[in-house]
Amino acid sequence: MDVVLFDWKLVFTQIPEILKAFPTTIELTIIATLIGYVLGLALALVKIHRVPVLRHIGAFYISFLRGTPILVQLYITYYGIPLILKYINLTHGTNYNINSIPAVFFAIVALGLNQSAFDSEVIRAAIESVDKGQLEAARALGMTGGQILRRVILPQSVVVAIPSLGNSLIQLIKGTSLAFTVAVVDLTAAGRILAGRNFRYFEAYCSLAIIYWILTIVLEQVFKRLERHFRIDEQAPAFEGKEAQRLTAVLESVRAEKAEVSAT
Amino acid sequence: MSYIEIRGLSKRFGDTQVLDNLSLDIEKGDVVAVIGPSGTGKSTLLRSLNLLETPESGFLKIGEKEYNLTCRSGSDRRKIRLETEMVFQQFNLLKNRNTLENVTEGLITVKGLSKAEAERRALLELDRVGMSDRLFHYPRHLSGGQQQRVAIARALAMDPELLLLDEPTSALDPELVGEVLTAIKKVAAAGNTILLVTHEMNFVRNAATKVVFLEHGKVEAQGTPKEIFENADNPRLKQFLYKINFLDLVDYYI
Repeated sequence: MDVVLFDWKLVFTQIPEILKAFPTTIELTIIATLIGYVLGLALALVKIHRVPVLRHIGAFYISFLRGTPILVQLYITYYGIPLILKYINLTHGTNYNINSIPAVFFAIVALGLNQSAFDSEVIRAAIESVDKGQLEAARALGMTGGQILRRVILPQSVVVAIPSLGNSLIQLIKGTSLAFTVAVVDLTAAGRILAGRNFRYFEAYCSLAIIYWILTIVLEQVFKRLERHFRIDEQAPAFEGKEAQRLTAVLESVRAEKAEVSAT
Repeated sequence: MSYIEIRGLSKRFGDTQVLDNLSLDIEKGDVVAVIGPSGTGKSTLLRSLNLLETPESGFLKIGEKEYNLTCRSGSDRRKIRLETEMVFQQFNLLKNRNTLENVTEGLITVKGLSKAEAERRALLELDRVGMSDRLFHYPRHLSGGQQQRVAIARALAMDPELLLLDEPTSALDPELVGEVLTAIKKVAAAGNTILLVTHEMNFVRNAATKVVFLEHGKVEAQGTPKEIFENADNPRLKQFLYKINFLDLVDYYI
């Protein structure tokens, strides 16, 4: 009997089987990213505006999440949330069922919180890179704080933050591979299950490596595109096209109206 | 009674009294130039009127409306800001918006104009300052002088009662100063009321209707350009004009 040391064909043929868990990995990534951005923005604003009390809580939170391994954080949420639920059940006489919480919830919470700690620093630096003069100009125009944030600060800091946020997203997508530790069947877990059946562990991890690598390359390209899209070209845009024609017509009519007013 | 009255304006930074119970009258259509040594509160005066600085005391009366410049409520502060518009030394255009959008931004978000209305107003003002041929350019594509002209159009489009120009040509290369001064002259000729801080004394002499000499946060002297530049009798004013080579002190010839 031939002993096949390394079944290289299997590395590729089992990829479709592993990819069945792809939606789970994507779900984890997308939701954790959104949590990361929203909480990260909130943390960044708290730090920038030096909000009393919240600022210290935020600093503690960031320090903890950056100072402990993501694997430890996954286990803390996995065992911690049921404990909290039990406590609520005991004190309030409620009857929440711990087992009704899908495993993926724990992973999303842990990854999202972890992500927010890292993203908050990126977002803070990006927001602080917007020069103060523009903010004064916006205030002088009479824009409200919210309008300035939405229309001046965020659009400009997004451009600055894109490369770093891209990096953090790539970290995250690889970080989701730890979700199998809390019983989530993501790509990594699917690979391990497959290998558990045919004992081709090496092949399974090779397949996983290829999948994650390609995912990362695709993401890198997406972020490069985004960066290019937001960048204001060195060359001034040409004044042409439909919009230019329309504006020229408006300008003509404004001029005509002005001439009429001064004539009377 | 003047159309615009500034009363009892005081502002301190730490131990320094930058504005000291300052009062100033401005008539409608006036071009008031504020001159004086550096650090005497010229910019702070403008910034206080726009509430970029919050003064310790001060009132601003425009026509029938009277405002307390020390108010804290956001909506009151925005009301005051709508009466005045600021043009900055560093232009401060929004870097992610092109020329046209820089001018329409405030009209749409603050004044609530429709896009079409905002564009008409923006084009009118951009045309006035000679920038209607660069509508799609972003600030990074424009020279300092061009950026400043857009900034003037942006301020004017908001239709302020009082236009505040804070050293609008100080950050410009010498050859670009002229185009901005020309734009300001046009704006003044259109009947806008202007409060201007500048070091361009020749421009002040030609274009201002009133000159205010500020020192240590107080109005030391004021009058027509002729009164200030040719018949200065205030010793501090004389000294200042002499320092900037704008006055040949009689002593000089002795």
